Amino acid sequence: MSLLGQILVNGILLGGLYALMALGLALVWGVLNIVNLAHGALIMLGAYVCYYLFTELNLDPFAALPLTMLTLFVFGYLLQRFVLNLVIRAPMFNTLLITFGIDVVLTYLAQISFSADYRTINPTYAGSNFALFGATVPTVRLLAFVVALALTCLLWLFLARTRLGRAIRATAQNLVAARLYGVEPRRIYALTFGLGAALAGAAGGLYGVVSQVNPYIGGSLTAKSFAIAIIGGLENPLGVVVGGLFLGIVESLTSLYIGPTYADVASFGILVLVLIVRPTGLLGRTT
Amino acid sequence: MTRPMLWGAAGGTLMILAAVPWIASPTLIQFGISTLLLATLAQSWNIIGGYAGYASFGNSVFYGLGSYGTAIAMVQWHLPFGVGLALGAVLAVAFAVLLGLLVLRLRGHYFAIATLALAEVMIAIFSNLDIAGRNIGLVLPLLRGDALFYEMSLGLLALSTLAIAWIARSRFGFGLISIRENEEAAAVMGVNTTLYKVLAFALSGFFCALAGGIHAYWITFLDPVSAFDIGLNVKMIIMSVFGGPGSILGPVVGAVLLSGVSEILSTEISSLAGLFFGVVIVTAVVFMPRGLADLGRRYKKVGWHYFADNVRAHRL
Repeated sequence: MSLLGQILVNGILLGGLYALMALGLALVWGVLNIVNLAHGALIMLGAYVCYYLFTELNLDPFAALPLTMLTLFVFGYLLQRFVLNLVIRAPMFNTLLITFGIDVVLTYLAQISFSADYRTINPTYAGSNFALFGATVPTVRLLAFVVALALTCLLWLFLARTRLGRAIRATAQNLVAARLYGVEPRRIYALTFGLGAALAGAAGGLYGVVSQVNPYIGGSLTAKSFAIAIIGGLENPLGVVVGGLFLGIVESLTSLYIGPTYADVASFGILVLVLIVRPTGLLGRTT
Repeated sequence: MTRPMLWGAAGGTLMILAAVPWIASPTLIQFGISTLLLATLAQSWNIIGGYAGYASFGNSVFYGLGSYGTAIAMVQWHLPFGVGLALGAVLAVAFAVLLGLLVLRLRGHYFAIATLALAEVMIAIFSNLDIAGRNIGLVLPLLRGDALFYEMSLGLLALSTLAIAWIARSRFGFGLISIRENEEAAAVMGVNTTLYKVLAFALSGFFCALAGGIHAYWITFLDPVSAFDIGLNVKMIIMSVFGGPGSILGPVVGAVLLSGVSEILSTEISSLAGLFFGVVIVTAVVFMPRGLADLGRRYKKVGWHYFADNVRAHRL
């Protein structure tokens, strides 16, 4: 198995996690029309919740994920209900700015409460791996990949099949019409934001297992999530998966052939290019 | 106030401010320099964000280019400061024109995030450039003379404020405001929207670059992360928005007030200064989204209801 094959495996595994990161951002953006610049900070919080569940309560990180998601869901619900809801009808710029303010507050609070040290969620099986067609596959990365894809599929089913999911999609398409059919937008908005935060929490927990966490990781994760949402479009969770895999592979290839310090240049360069060429997203609908 | 009185008041204030280095303590002068530079940055953002209505997160890129232009000219090529400053400004304006032609076609979130991503790209690029000292950075020659830096910063702020005072009453400025209010309508009315937006972006970049150059020479040290700091861009935005975007003096007032409070806070409890900006952003957006300038105008009429009205208008 060549080096290229190994790089592709790494990229795909990373891409699954990226997709999960972007999923919450795309959901909130599509339904509430808010680009949540605090999304990365929510991922960071999820990582810390999972970290403390693991170190203090000795919970397995993957078993701690549901609890992490629940915590973040409640936090996101309250944040939307009592803070963001105050500016939900304000111009785009105001909502962008307020989520940035929330990002700053969360980052500083995390720095004060958790310290600026790097942390890793390190279960006993963290170092194990197995060979597949000659490529080495780290077990935790594969598990994280599977969980990320499973959550994406669950969200897709939820939005497509359940009554609540349909109400969320209806609100995204036409707020007035949805209200006429008895949808309570305040509740739907808070629920959607809570869901987005829960997905961010899950992504954070997995990120903490495969990588390192400190209070400042939020900014670049937000930008990456945005890039993926742009590439994949907002209509379909599966588009986000494609965007995540694409970015993961591109970053891995850039690290190999140009240099690891250029990985971010590649992802953000692609973001700017896609925005210029096709602002509705590579897979998005043309309007 | 009549116009001559207005000019007299402005000139008088400027002269009093210019006399500060002879009477104030060194600490106060240093606080003055950073506040004047921040006010200049807030004004530069005011041109593209306040007047043209394009929420730029890319002004820190121009600031960084101005800093690096100055630093590279002085450290690598041993040119005088003035030449370096000019080089940085040319670099930033050229970049603003090129970039503007591409990204100013984007609206809303898309424009904001495209410019936001650019700062990250710049950090990565300059961390790999040999001429810019890679990620170690550059050390500029030391010049002891805070009074000189103070006067330069004051001059730059005066220049940028003059430029905005001109914009506010010129055909160019009305064109920008019409773009902010409704870009399609502006185009239909015969405003060359692309030209106006790119000009505003370039002018904004010009002042940012000069502020960056002065700051680099004053601090004598430069590295990619601090030169292209997104946090600085957010400070410009919040100072401008807090004071009143699209007004002549609002951003200056916002910059002075917020730097003052932040300075006092950071001497008391250093970790709270950063938190302070976050809290100001959130509360300002909720209660006074159009800034102090609008508050001053409308408060007389409606009193405390002003804040409740703002919340009522935008909540669901």
